[in-house]
Amino acid sequence: MIQYAFYILSALSVASALMTVFTRKPVYSVLYLIFFFFTLFGHYILLNAQFLAAVHLIVYAGAIMVLFLFIIMMLNLNKEIEPNKSVVAKFAAVISGGLLMIVVISAMKGVDNIALNHRSDIGLVETLGNVLYNKYMLPFEMVSVLFLTAIVGAVMLGKKEIK
Amino acid sequence: MNTIVILSVTGIAAMMSDVFKLKKALFGLSLLGLLIALVFSVYDWGQYASYFNQMVLTDNYAVVFTTMLIGMTFLWFLMSKDFFSSHSSASEHYALILFSLTGGVMMTNFSDLTILFLGLEILSISLYILAGSDKGNLFSNEASLKYFMIGSFATGFLLFGIALIYGATSSFNLQEISTYVQQHNGSLPAYFYAGILMILTGLTFKVSAVPFHFWAPDVYDGSPTLVTTYMLSVVKMAAFAALYRLFINCFAPVYEFWIPVFAIMSAVTMLLGNITAVYQKSLKRMLAYSSIAHAGYMLMALASPGIASKNALVFYLLAYAIATLGVFNVLYQVHKVTGREEIKSVKGLFRKNPFAAIMLTLCMLSMAGIPPVAGFFGKYYMFVSTLNGGLTWLVLIAVLSSLIGVYFYFKVIIAAFQEPELENTAYYRQPSDFTVLYICGILSLLLGIMPQFVAGLL
Repeated sequence: MIQYAFYILSALSVASALMTVFTRKPVYSVLYLIFFFFTLFGHYILLNAQFLAAVHLIVYAGAIMVLFLFIIMMLNLNKEIEPNKSVVAKFAAVISGGLLMIVVISAMKGVDNIALNHRSDIGLVETLGNVLYNKYMLPFEMVSVLFLTAIVGAVMLGKKEIK
Repeated sequence: MNTIVILSVTGIAAMMSDVFKLKKALFGLSLLGLLIALVFSVYDWGQYASYFNQMVLTDNYAVVFTTMLIGMTFLWFLMSKDFFSSHSSASEHYALILFSLTGGVMMTNFSDLTILFLGLEILSISLYILAGSDKGNLFSNEASLKYFMIGSFATGFLLFGIALIYGATSSFNLQEISTYVQQHNGSLPAYFYAGILMILTGLTFKVSAVPFHFWAPDVYDGSPTLVTTYMLSVVKMAAFAALYRLFINCFAPVYEFWIPVFAIMSAVTMLLGNITAVYQKSLKRMLAYSSIAHAGYMLMALASPGIASKNALVFYLLAYAIATLGVFNVLYQVHKVTGREEIKSVKGLFRKNPFAAIMLTLCMLSMAGIPPVAGFFGKYYMFVSTLNGGLTWLVLIAVLSSLIGVYFYFKVIIAAFQEPELENTAYYRQPSDFTVLYICGILSLLLGIMPQFVAGLL
């Protein structure tokens, strides 16, 4: 059952990733990318990594991609204005892409021999919370100061100077 | 640890003060917070305590640097009342300065790489914003953007380095990493050394050592003068404290690997900083280049690790920060009155205010390293510890570049004693404008006469 789910999800991921690259209109590209992130969300769930899945959905699909979409809409890029690349550029792109693929394949070779010895509940929110509130208590609290700094700074730079 | 809490709370209180209409009391409140933090910091002396699962370790090294950081910030506050009064967003300025100090204190107290990273980020992000706090000024905007871009790039290096170190030793904790390195010395993977180099790159970016100094002159020159003062005195201190603490505590067993890197970097930094400073007409830009040169001298401490160089680093940083605060006090007042920052706009200072001119001379002598003042002993201790480390060539280069330095520091002193060139050289509107200069000049002199008070602290 899980195996079938994995295959279906993988097929969808590959297809949507390819469509992100191949489609001509930027808005469609972004929409396919969002779809791709949703399939990744499914993959995380299959790996029993709830927290990562949720964060992935909120941060990438939710915040960043919506930002992308807005910017593309604001710049009014939804026209086919992409200039035709020269033959040399296409050739170079194919070669470098192929090289990357060779690197990835050779890196993946033999990976299935490595025994996975991590705990299966490592991706659960509960585990994370335990680590965060015990061992990493101080960093967790200090991050709030970091965020406060960023917020204060954004307010300060954005505020209109009262004369 | 207590200081971190107090400073963050003071920062948050400053941030919230707009809501409670406490803007008037803010200056006193911040000074009070700093004083309390200072007391708690000194109180920690001699106590070797670690907090929160070894995230923070308050040893004497941390206490010395924390005290110096808070003390320098206190002095900085005294000379920067204007910085807060002339803006509509005063409480934000207070909050950012206090938060950045919190980050600096974290960088001197850390015992875990996550805390180092967080401290560095808190410090840097507040400074990116403060560098651009003069919103209408194009140079300030440029400084902010440049600092942000290059600073984030450097942070990326640091983070990747930390990840590689974690991969090799499976720990973020300084003690655990150091034990692991000792036990597996000789059989460490190549990516462990790559990690060291990446951390080194990330942190030397922050201390503006050559070849990672390109941002420094523009950022120091473009930022509001008071923010530059803060960067040169407090931030440099925090960055060096973190760099030294990390390499001495963590990577000491493999010192053969990183000592040559620091030695070469140090030599190039001081030569390049001093030589380029000679050609500057603007006093602020000259001080920016001279700060690069001083970073070179401070890196000598890392080229000869040991107790002697640790003490030398403390003394050098203290002497440099004090002299910087004093000189920048003059620069700020000159800029406020004449609107110019050239060396020649200091002319006539002796005629108008002889005591200030003498104090400026003391601070400048301290920067140049001339005997009766603190800077000389900073250089002296540093050179002695480097000589004992066996790096004679580095000391030779350091002496040579100091000689170059004397030339442009004396240009300022000579200008201060010349006849005024401009009409409006009434540098002081109130006698209190130069308070910090007086304090710094006297402190420089006292440290120069009685260096043993600070020299043997650690």
